[in-house]
Amino acid sequence: MMGAGARGSYRVRAATLALLLAATPAAFAVPSFARQTGMACEVCHTIYPELTHFGRAFKANGYVLDNLKQVRDVSAKRDELLELAQTPALSIMAQVSYTQVKTPLPDLGLPDNPGLAQNGTASFPQQLSLFYAGKIAPHFGAFFQITYANDSGTFGIDNTDLRFADVYVLPNDQTLIYGVSLNNNPTVQDLWNSTPAFGFPYAASNATVSPLGGAQIDGALGQQVAGLSVYAFWNEALYAEIGGYRSAQQASLNQLTGVAGPLDGTASNVVRGLAPYWRLAYEHNWDRHSLEVGLYGSDFKLLPGGAPGSPVPLQGPVNRFKDVAQDVQYQFIGETNLLTIAGTRIHESMNLDASFAAEAVANASNDLTTTRLWATYYHRRRIGGTLGFFATNGSTDSGLYPAAAPGDPGVITSASSSPDTRGWTAEVNYLPWLNTKLSAQYTKYTKFNGGSTNYDGVGRDASANDTWYLLLWFSY
Amino acid sequence: MHGVPASGSYQVGRQRPASRFAPLAALLALGLSAAAVHADETDVFTQRYAHRLAVGTCGICHGAQGNSTQPKFPRLAGQNANYLVTQLKAFRDQARGDPDAISYMWGMARELDDKTISALAAYYATQKPVPVRRRDLALIARGKEIYEHGIESAGVPACNACHGPDAHGLADFPRLASQHAQYVLKQLASFQSNMRDVAVMHGIAQSLRESDMQAVAAFLQAQP
Repeated sequence: MMGAGARGSYRVRAATLALLLAATPAAFAVPSFARQTGMACEVCHTIYPELTHFGRAFKANGYVLDNLKQVRDVSAKRDELLELAQTPALSIMAQVSYTQVKTPLPDLGLPDNPGLAQNGTASFPQQLSLFYAGKIAPHFGAFFQITYANDSGTFGIDNTDLRFADVYVLPNDQTLIYGVSLNNNPTVQDLWNSTPAFGFPYAASNATVSPLGGAQIDGALGQQVAGLSVYAFWNEALYAEIGGYRSAQQASLNQLTGVAGPLDGTASNVVRGLAPYWRLAYEHNWDRHSLEVGLYGSDFKLLPGGAPGSPVPLQGPVNRFKDVAQDVQYQFIGETNLLTIAGTRIHESMNLDASFAAEAVANASNDLTTTRLWATYYHRRRIGGTLGFFATNGSTDSGLYPAAAPGDPGVITSASSSPDTRGWTAEVNYLPWLNTKLSAQYTKYTKFNGGSTNYDGVGRDASANDTWYLLLWFSY
Repeated sequence: MHGVPASGSYQVGRQRPASRFAPLAALLALGLSAAAVHADETDVFTQRYAHRLAVGTCGICHGAQGNSTQPKFPRLAGQNANYLVTQLKAFRDQARGDPDAISYMWGMARELDDKTISALAAYYATQKPVPVRRRDLALIARGKEIYEHGIESAGVPACNACHGPDAHGLADFPRLASQHAQYVLKQLASFQSNMRDVAVMHGIAQSLRESDMQAVAAFLQAQP
């Protein structure tokens, strides 16, 4: 959906961008939490980044559980004015990877005569992150990530979640955890790994190609919006959250004040007003099992704006994206065997008044459905793997999912104007230590942008995008 | 050592009880600043703090009232207070070394002070254990036999000599009734390997066969 209003004229540039900026996955593994709590990774994670019940409670409680000596300040009335751990909650994380696409991608350095890029991309690092993750004050904690990514070549803000939380003990010793989250990516604040921000695949290549279709709540707006939500978690079972997301509605720089514009600085897909976000989930734990079922959704009204460096006035009609999703997560956490089955189905209804008026899309209304389902098994938290299925289906639109123009290299085009994509991701992981993961991941496409063979109109088959991804992922 | 428990553990609700009991707490602070203080004596403030800690933090794994539903985490409802105090101090001092003690409880107990430990123990000791459904009656009967009479041929003494006729614990010996069978088995394995270093139990666990352990654990889980 990126730049839907301006797609045609920026096709080549968009193609280049989309190739380079294949969705950078979220990453979440923070030993500073372990230092703060004094507890091992396994208390909060099955295998990072997947959370256990205790990990979910820790997050809902605002990342503030600490078992460290504190520098403190207390008033005469015993109000707690300050609690500082003597060790700051800092962590680093690195991903080093190697990507091999089945058929090399075009080299767009010579647009008139695109040859093939050299296959096999070594990323050293793919991503290097610095975290502040832990308590800031009583009831106030942070998960704050700054990431260097090799595709951008710069440091930038990554997933961030600031939380205030407290727990109220109800009569009969039931608990009500309640709090506020200030975050920059819808679902990054969620407690379950079945929602997009921390769902499978937990890491993926940024040197391969991604399909065109994707819902807004499915990561499209990560790090481009600011959201505030309130939540309550009753008896660590019933969870409800409601909030809204905004972004600055002005061009990249306000000429009068000199104030910077939207968070991503591109003035594209800017939220008009406040976009609601909601979440409802129920979790039941018994024996060594945990089962969660839930619903979540959002309603984004976006001003398409312009491409990076070419801001256009942020006014007039909007594109509206209504997302409603279901999710489920089952966990069995044994001493020897650990099994997780999780999935989500996201339905998006689009009313693209702005892009339709600008003749950038073919239909005023479209819809898109993404389904992901995966199963993860680990033996003694040492060796394991995940098998995941993914499918996206949606209405055809020659503007949203354009065909290749004469001379275009294709790849991220769709001869059938369709977002339909389907495939499997399988990965095998080995963890010599609980903060170090070695992964071999293979993604297999049976359908890509609407077709299995010659999907892009330039002769590329869906299977040409099958990708091997080898990863060393550690954090300290 | 002031009225505020010095445990750096989960900072639940220090403010609320403080403001509600401010006059009382102030008096206590005055009293406690005097030299002679009984370390294990718990005041109302500490009790309230421990209650919130037990429900809001410990309860995430052990169940709000100590009746955990997950066999990885022991049931603490009705547990012998002396035993709980000893164990919490052993976690704090990193003296109890079974795997889950290391990964979970060493951190959790790291900054607990003696008063909070006493108050936590008192809280769990007064909670009502919820009975667990009986299952394999034949296995339970075999376990009952071992629990009450030991295994003479293997030199295993009767468990009830220390843990009491109804397995509710005696003196410093823990209550075992209604404990998760899987937890009991894991502890017996830790005694056997000496990761949890208790001389008496090491000897007994070494003499028990796996099937004996399963029988005793099933019996204990089924006891009210």
